[in-house]
Amino acid sequence: MSTLLDTVAAANLPHQFELLEKSVEVLSHSPAVQSLHVRGSLAAGTADRLSDLDFIVAVHDPSFASFIQVADALMTAELGAVLPGWRDTIVAQMGGLGYVYLVADGRKLYQVDLYIVPVSRLDTVLARTTAMPVYLADGATSRPHSHVDWVINSTLERPHTPSELLVEILVIGHMIRKRIARGQRFIAYAEMFALHTAVKNLIKAVLAPGSSFYGWYQLPEEVGSTPIGRQCLADLERLITGNAVPTGGDLAAALSTALTVAERAAPTILEPLRPAIDAYWHYLEFA
Amino acid sequence: MTNTGLATPASLPTEVAALRPIRADLMERLRHEALTVPGNWVVEYGDYQNGGWHTLSLLNDTGNPRDVTIRDCPEPVATSLLTRMPAVRELLAELGLRCMWARLARLEAGAFLWEHRDYGELNDVERHRVHVPLVTNSSAYLILGGTKVHMSDGRVWRLTPTSPHGVCNRFGPARIHLVIDCYADDAFTALNASADSVADSVAALPTPAADELEEHVATASGLAQLGYDRAAETTLLELFYRYALPEGQVYDLIALMYAALHRDEDAERWRSKKAIMLGHA
Repeated sequence: MSTLLDTVAAANLPHQFELLEKSVEVLSHSPAVQSLHVRGSLAAGTADRLSDLDFIVAVHDPSFASFIQVADALMTAELGAVLPGWRDTIVAQMGGLGYVYLVADGRKLYQVDLYIVPVSRLDTVLARTTAMPVYLADGATSRPHSHVDWVINSTLERPHTPSELLVEILVIGHMIRKRIARGQRFIAYAEMFALHTAVKNLIKAVLAPGSSFYGWYQLPEEVGSTPIGRQCLADLERLITGNAVPTGGDLAAALSTALTVAERAAPTILEPLRPAIDAYWHYLEFA
Repeated sequence: MTNTGLATPASLPTEVAALRPIRADLMERLRHEALTVPGNWVVEYGDYQNGGWHTLSLLNDTGNPRDVTIRDCPEPVATSLLTRMPAVRELLAELGLRCMWARLARLEAGAFLWEHRDYGELNDVERHRVHVPLVTNSSAYLILGGTKVHMSDGRVWRLTPTSPHGVCNRFGPARIHLVIDCYADDAFTALNASADSVADSVAALPTPAADELEEHVATASGLAQLGYDRAAETTLLELFYRYALPEGQVYDLIALMYAALHRDEDAERWRSKKAIMLGHA
């Protein structure tokens, strides 16, 4: 009886579990990786068919910088990441670096989060989050490596480039699509504000790169003195006066506006990403 | 001059031709069949790809759709799959080619067929390859001679696969083509004479600057040093789809990377693989 039920259960496993297995196999292939944990809904037992794969990747301290350098190439070559990783500014600062990837698998786009942490800080991270181990290598723990602090701090301090901000917009759009599908209206509201902020940041990064003003301050003065700046601000105005809690249609319109801003202000960053963005639209319809 | 890393408009290489269009109503039925009928796809030619290229035969000498290793076959028969695909049968009849083999080829998101030459193992007779894109997307394209060709749907294409070429579907969704290998005859000559211009589908890839290539090799080397050999190799093999490179250079780059890491056996393995892939073995 239990075998028959197991068969039915296996046939109905959410598709992410295949991606979870594949991700663990790929990431654990390096002796530099000491352990892999899942956190978030997978660790809490609340995952559904739209859930992210949320990993803590513990890398031996001496290899930490090298791992960060090749993470995008690894995720693209082995797991089919559609866009470069977005350095996650939503995840809590726990002692490592977080990256979000959108991975095409079957007919869907999945969010795979990597929180990459030096082994010497893994205990600190595990004390701050609910996590379940999915891979543990044999061997000793790492001794702290002075270079790790520099890598993490310099990465966190570096402002996002316009290209990275465009990826951020697309990643947040994917998150919002999931919130809408689940009916999570409060989170959809918060993430829509994050999307607006990313569009504002893109406009500032391209048209006022030397800005010394915080956040949304002085935008008309810094950006609005030229025709292109005024057009971008008009687009931003249209974004922020839309529905606070978005529908699927609102999200599509907001993403279109964001891409229009990118095309107008920074066409050279948009062009190399066009095929990926075409695919992104396709998957968003199937999400 | 600054290298923008972007492809620029170009004309089709002589090895590829955009041929006659397919009626819209037939195209819709072909697409429907391609998405609904085939199942149990076969992964073959594993050395030539990264695992996402699947095929099923429609015409071969056994009638078994899972028999997909092509060979000379002067009088092919319909496989059990083709009997369930009336729109494909209609198109094949319209084309009237002297078929050697016909297949459906499905290229998944993220799949690559690495730089290679075809037909090396077959008899020395004139044959041609005809592609009919059934389901495609803008990130699915063919590379030939440093030129990127997106085979758009709605028409028949001709490819001369004895020149080094590769195919990819970077981001998906899955691309499905009907691929017909046929012998030269009047019907093929007439079909080939229907060549059309398709400027939107063609772009010349940029030539990489030396420091760009070095950067890619450094990334691949970093992956290999961490133990991610397959990702390192893939990172370099994919350069064929980003830059106009001399024949076989991606294989040379992999061999050089391993040589620099003092992994001489791996370097030699890739030198041998280059010879096989490009038909020099």
